[in-house]
Amino acid sequence: MTSITGILGITFGAALLTFLLHHLVPKLRNIVAILAVGATGYIAWQMPIDSYMTHFTIGSFDIIWGNSEYSKLFALLISVLGFFALIYSHDFMAGKKRLGYYYMNFLIAIGSMYGIVYSQDLISLFFFWEIMTWSSFLLIIYCCKDSQQVGLKYFIFSAIGAYSILIALVLIYANLGSVTFIKVFAQFGSMSFEVQLSSVILLLIGFGVKSAIMPLHVWAPKSYAISPSPFTAVFSGALSKMGVFGIGIVLFKLASQGGYYIYVKEILAWIGGITALLATFYAVFQTDAKKLLAYSSVGQLGYIVVGLAIGTPLSIMAALFLAVLHAAFKGALFLATGAVYHRTGTTDMNEVSGLVRKMPYTFLTALMGIIAVSGVPPLGGFAGKWMLYQSLIESDHYFLVIVVFASSTAAFLYLYRYIFSLFLGQEEKEFEDVKEVSWLMRIPMLTLVIFTLVVGVAPGLLLEPISGAMGYLGVGATQFETTVIWNAWGNKIDMFTIMNSIGILFGIAFVFITVKGFKSGRYVTTKDIHTSGEVPTENENLTYAVDFYKPFERALGWVLKPSVDKFYNKIATNLEHAFDHLRYIYTGNGQTYAMYVVIFLVILIAFSELIFGVKL
Amino acid sequence: MNISPVHFIAVPLLAAFLIPIIGRFSKEFVKVIPGIVLLYLSYVAISLFPVALKTPIVEVLAGWKPPFGISLVYGPLAAYLTALITLMGFVIWVYSYKFIIREPIEKYYMLFMLLITGSTGIILTGDIFNMFVFLEITAIAAYSLTAFLRDKDGAEAAFKYLLIGSFASSFFLLAVMLLYASTGTLNLAEITSKIDSVAMSTRILILILFLVGLGIEAELFPLNGWAPDAYSQAPSPIGAIFGGIVVKAAIYALMRLVFLLFNFSEVFHFLLIMGIITMIVAEMSAMKQQQIKRMLAFSSIGQMGLVIIAFSVGTSDSVQAALFQMFNHAVIKALLFFAAGYLVFHSGSKKISALDGLGRDKPLTSFFFALGALAIIGLPPFAGFWSKLYILISVADAGLITAVVLVLIASVIEAVYYLRVVSRLYFNKESAQETEVRRTPLTGLLAMGVLALVIIVVGIYPDYIWNLLKPAAEELVNKAEYIRIALLK
Amino acid sequence: MIFYISGILLILIGMYAVLTKKNIIKIIIGLSIVDSGINLLLIAIGYVNDGTAPIFSNETLKAVDMVDPVPQALVLTAIVIGLGVTAVALALVIRLYDHHKTLNINKIRKLKW
Repeated sequence: MTSITGILGITFGAALLTFLLHHLVPKLRNIVAILAVGATGYIAWQMPIDSYMTHFTIGSFDIIWGNSEYSKLFALLISVLGFFALIYSHDFMAGKKRLGYYYMNFLIAIGSMYGIVYSQDLISLFFFWEIMTWSSFLLIIYCCKDSQQVGLKYFIFSAIGAYSILIALVLIYANLGSVTFIKVFAQFGSMSFEVQLSSVILLLIGFGVKSAIMPLHVWAPKSYAISPSPFTAVFSGALSKMGVFGIGIVLFKLASQGGYYIYVKEILAWIGGITALLATFYAVFQTDAKKLLAYSSVGQLGYIVVGLAIGTPLSIMAALFLAVLHAAFKGALFLATGAVYHRTGTTDMNEVSGLVRKMPYTFLTALMGIIAVSGVPPLGGFAGKWMLYQSLIESDHYFLVIVVFASSTAAFLYLYRYIFSLFLGQEEKEFEDVKEVSWLMRIPMLTLVIFTLVVGVAPGLLLEPISGAMGYLGVGATQFETTVIWNAWGNKIDMFTIMNSIGILFGIAFVFITVKGFKSGRYVTTKDIHTSGEVPTENENLTYAVDFYKPFERALGWVLKPSVDKFYNKIATNLEHAFDHLRYIYTGNGQTYAMYVVIFLVILIAFSELIFGVKL
Repeated sequence: MNISPVHFIAVPLLAAFLIPIIGRFSKEFVKVIPGIVLLYLSYVAISLFPVALKTPIVEVLAGWKPPFGISLVYGPLAAYLTALITLMGFVIWVYSYKFIIREPIEKYYMLFMLLITGSTGIILTGDIFNMFVFLEITAIAAYSLTAFLRDKDGAEAAFKYLLIGSFASSFFLLAVMLLYASTGTLNLAEITSKIDSVAMSTRILILILFLVGLGIEAELFPLNGWAPDAYSQAPSPIGAIFGGIVVKAAIYALMRLVFLLFNFSEVFHFLLIMGIITMIVAEMSAMKQQQIKRMLAFSSIGQMGLVIIAFSVGTSDSVQAALFQMFNHAVIKALLFFAAGYLVFHSGSKKISALDGLGRDKPLTSFFFALGALAIIGLPPFAGFWSKLYILISVADAGLITAVVLVLIASVIEAVYYLRVVSRLYFNKESAQETEVRRTPLTGLLAMGVLALVIIVVGIYPDYIWNLLKPAAEELVNKAEYIRIALLK
Repeated sequence: MIFYISGILLILIGMYAVLTKKNIIKIIIGLSIVDSGINLLLIAIGYVNDGTAPIFSNETLKAVDMVDPVPQALVLTAIVIGLGVTAVALALVIRLYDHHKTLNINKIRKLKW
């Protein structure tokens, strides 16, 4: 029994156990889940680096599980985020139905993610990948209204992605006779050009679906919005990172062996950049807080993909840094939104407002979270974005810098909308008795935020394991110290100084704007005549958050109108329609079926020369 | 001293005759007989399995040595399939025990025994006309079982099945006749050794007749019009028998004949294309089905398409994968039919839309259905995953990447309609009106539980079954070996 | 030769009935005619002109003078099977008529698509 089998055994065993305990001792169920993930996190932390830890064969396949620094980074991310999300679940999910189902699938999802990062061959990677897909699907449909459609969409996209991976797998297997990483990494370049390129593209599509890069992102917003909040945190924070994990391996271990490498990188970088930009615009116009965050996640994953695809040491470092950080701050934000939902029963930004006094801790989390997302010092987002910009400039991607910078700036819009609509502004009567959530929910949120703060001040703490992971990918890391990064021209960038200076500036500006917004605002009742003489009806929502960015919407709406989502939906309806017509060949008349038989026979006899090459 | 494989045919046949007689005295005892018979046969199948792997048994009936008399050939492939049939038969019996509560119970079990007799007969016999007889026994029992519920739809489905099935037997018989006319023997091995001297055009005509005749039973498109009706109108355990046993026997017969007598690449190409068409058309038709059992029926046809694809790649690996898929499909589809049977029973409607929120009222049955659905799509860690993977790899090894892509497209469609049902099951219906609680009987849960366990165990550890299938696959591919065995040389 | 031709003709006539007649009893009659055609063909294969029954009833008989016994055995079996199928079919017809009050196959198609 090695550490990896231990980890997998504990998580999957705990999954079964929680399901059983649900019916026997419901109290223990939550604790078992939390302990299991905590314990596996500890094991993952202690695990030595050994890429050939567990080895066995199934049929003719070599199954290898091992730990690399790259795996370790992601494994820790999974366990930490999962651990906090499960603690949070304890109160968040209290009183809900079918908790056995919830915890079981949660743990299966986490276990399968461990499996993915520890896989050292494509078969087991795919195996766990599919388990992750169905367990997360089951969690999406756990919830309520229109969850079926959303869940199905998620699954269809995931299936398309997974089957792309599978096609690549069988292609490689047919050519190399083995799909262990050792062999594939070593001999990928020896396959024919077509096979190499098609497997790289297929693999990128497969991993791209999970990391929601456009145009494969359409499942993401609604799936994030609808899944239970603690799981959304894991979903966006860890599960989507599995795509990033895969893209990293494909780019630097496989694609780098062929001549098409630079083209693949360049195209992928642009796709990432466009994803980041468009997703940000979409996020600006969302009225649902979770959907807003979901689009924001898509955008952030776009940055990460850009960073990976640029492929310089600094950019990869930035990408991995952002990947870890995104898990922390987006996890915190989803948990904070979940807390709002827990107390108010909705995440619609047009309805909720003025929660700052009722839920100060949640507000603090959300505030820190959005600061981190927007990349303002002193939180971690800054360091990541700084490195990303710098690497883009270093590698002469000036245009891409503009795109990324534009989306980063636009991110302020939605972030401001998020915090302002939910927490600031007028206090609504219906939310008068809203209370702050319990400590068991506060601690996970706050811990995640504190993590981003620490990493923001001292990025070197996180860059240490990242540079190890980069060593596994075969890319040397840039030089760094705890609070200092060197850039390509050998200049020292002292995060601490930069942060202090810029951070103080932003802090002052933010406080100023907010305070001013409070002061100049006045309390209006729905009877207040500020609608140019028209008397608003009872059910007209007059919250200031409605049409928060109307001018922008007017200006930019046309960009976002031609939605890929609608395009896919159209394809789907047309296909269903076609399928529906196809089944009319089963007319229900026995005689028709008999006729089919005879016609089939006659065709076979008549065309036997064509079909069997023999004339009758 | 080993038990003779004749028992596989004789014992259930005897039971089928005895059941109506005993039924006059004790209804309860009648219900137990098939269980005892199938348990015994399962024991025989398992104990003979290692023997067959070492030295295939050829049982000569009535003292006439082959090629003159009728002989039973019990090689690795036959051993595997009889084991599958008897074990599945036993599980289906366990399920039926409390599910079939409608009179006349003794007729149900009689026909059930006849189905087992026919299916094992098809697999064991080394004589082509004998195969015809067993096909007919199976078919007649199947027609009657389809109409077992005595309702309007059952009779309609059974009549269609009978109409098409009669065509099948006519063509099969014609083909047998032509074979006899051109080779002068009915022994399969003897025919095989003589077939090369037969004129090519005759050979192809025979092939076409076999293809149509057996294609009907094996649900090849466009010959499968009867299948959705029959599957959906027969009682649920019978749906499981059709999908898990009868069709498997028909596919076995088709593939045995193709591999022995018509081993040309054109035939395999043709079958490959037919398999793909069958699979795609069936999956597309299943997409918008309103009734759950009809959907399962189309899915079964699709799976048979997949099996045919794997067989027609024609390598030893792909045949092994096909046999594995047959095993998985038998187990998984039986589980789905079992679960669907009780879901239909509980919701009181055959419609998929009536299943909303049953996941809460009937957690275990719904769970089994969901598990079966995930397994049949081919998701890990369930049994369907490995067989699909093996099939795809063997297909890709043969350089047929297009086929791989098509199989996966079909899988996506399959995933859509199965998960639509699963998400309906787990959809939180807000106002669940309290219906009278009807419990799923213990025997039903037991049968489903066993199958679910098999699915998971095979999904995590596929090696055991996979390795068992290797000799079976080699036996099918290697025709000289079969001749040697069957003719006692 | 005449046996072969008439056998094939019978098969075709039967199929014609199955495929075009709307009355299910006529369809079943068609199926029976197909059966008879096949049986006739089977017998014809083993038939030897002026042959006798394949029984060694006297010493002078040689094997070549006898008709082939195997097809006759087959036909006997096939006839029995055909009888069974027809019986089941007619039983189903009774059931169908009870439910649908019609024997027109075009009207018995509730299960479709």
